[in-house]
Amino acid sequence: MLRQASRGEIRAEKVGMAVAGSTSLLAHKAGLGRLPIESHKLQAFVSEPIKPFLDSVVVYGVGHGHFYISQSDKGGMVFGGNLDGYNSYAQKGNLPLYTDVASCAMNMMPALGRVKLLRQWAGIMDMSMDGSPFITKTDINGLYLNAGWCYGGFKATPASGWCFAHTIAHDAPHDVNKLLTLDRYKTGHMLDESGHGPYPKSH
Amino acid sequence: MLRLDCPVCGLRDHDEFTYLEDGSITYPKLTNENQDDWFDAVYLRENPRGRHVEKWHHTFGCRTVLLVERDTLTHVIGKIKPAHPKIAAALKQPATAKKRS
Repeated sequence: MLRQASRGEIRAEKVGMAVAGSTSLLAHKAGLGRLPIESHKLQAFVSEPIKPFLDSVVVYGVGHGHFYISQSDKGGMVFGGNLDGYNSYAQKGNLPLYTDVASCAMNMMPALGRVKLLRQWAGIMDMSMDGSPFITKTDINGLYLNAGWCYGGFKATPASGWCFAHTIAHDAPHDVNKLLTLDRYKTGHMLDESGHGPYPKSH
Repeated sequence: MLRLDCPVCGLRDHDEFTYLEDGSITYPKLTNENQDDWFDAVYLRENPRGRHVEKWHHTFGCRTVLLVERDTLTHVIGKIKPAHPKIAAALKQPATAKKRS
């Protein structure tokens, strides 16, 4: 791989790309073309610190509902829900989902009703077409891709890093990640666990 | 809150609408059996950071499917028109032409 940067050439025999929400942008620059990925935003919320209230992570997900909540060491309630639902690179949230997530919180724990929100933000998610990630070689020799984790990547980081390192070192995928390729849609081997079909906003 | 200027109903909050999909996709004809063409339309996305044409359904309004230009970085909304060309053309006609004789 060779890239021309502002201060000169950057060379490497092997390059691993793991940039989450900006995957499509960087892929265009690397010459990979269009990918089966859309960038969407996911909001997260933190309340003012309160006394110990919740000692575990609570996750709710039935039908179209989706909500999770936990308490940080500093006492703030950390919670979130669904994607805003439209393509976006803006790292800011939007009010309809704000209301939606707050009402989920109230449904599950009415005692939270008078807790004040401290801050809120949105992160950019690389939503794949079947909700499953890619850990794979690419059509460009020496370029490896780890992307499409939607909003589930954080918890999978150790396994994802291990498989990615194996793929880069051996120039071939490990048995565990051999199905996580970019062209699985072409051969009909999607890994669509939720069965939502090729709609990134739905996964 | 995004606000979309629906050509039928006027300026409305975006929670009246449902986001459908990337509006720049041209699906192949149903008689086209070329798998690459279908793969391209169903799975590959430009996913731009900037100007994006997309389809929104005015679910809690006139139920028209609209083609909306929106910037994915700034959320600035551009041109909005009905996705169906015949509805777009009908809305462009002067009011007098729409009256039944």
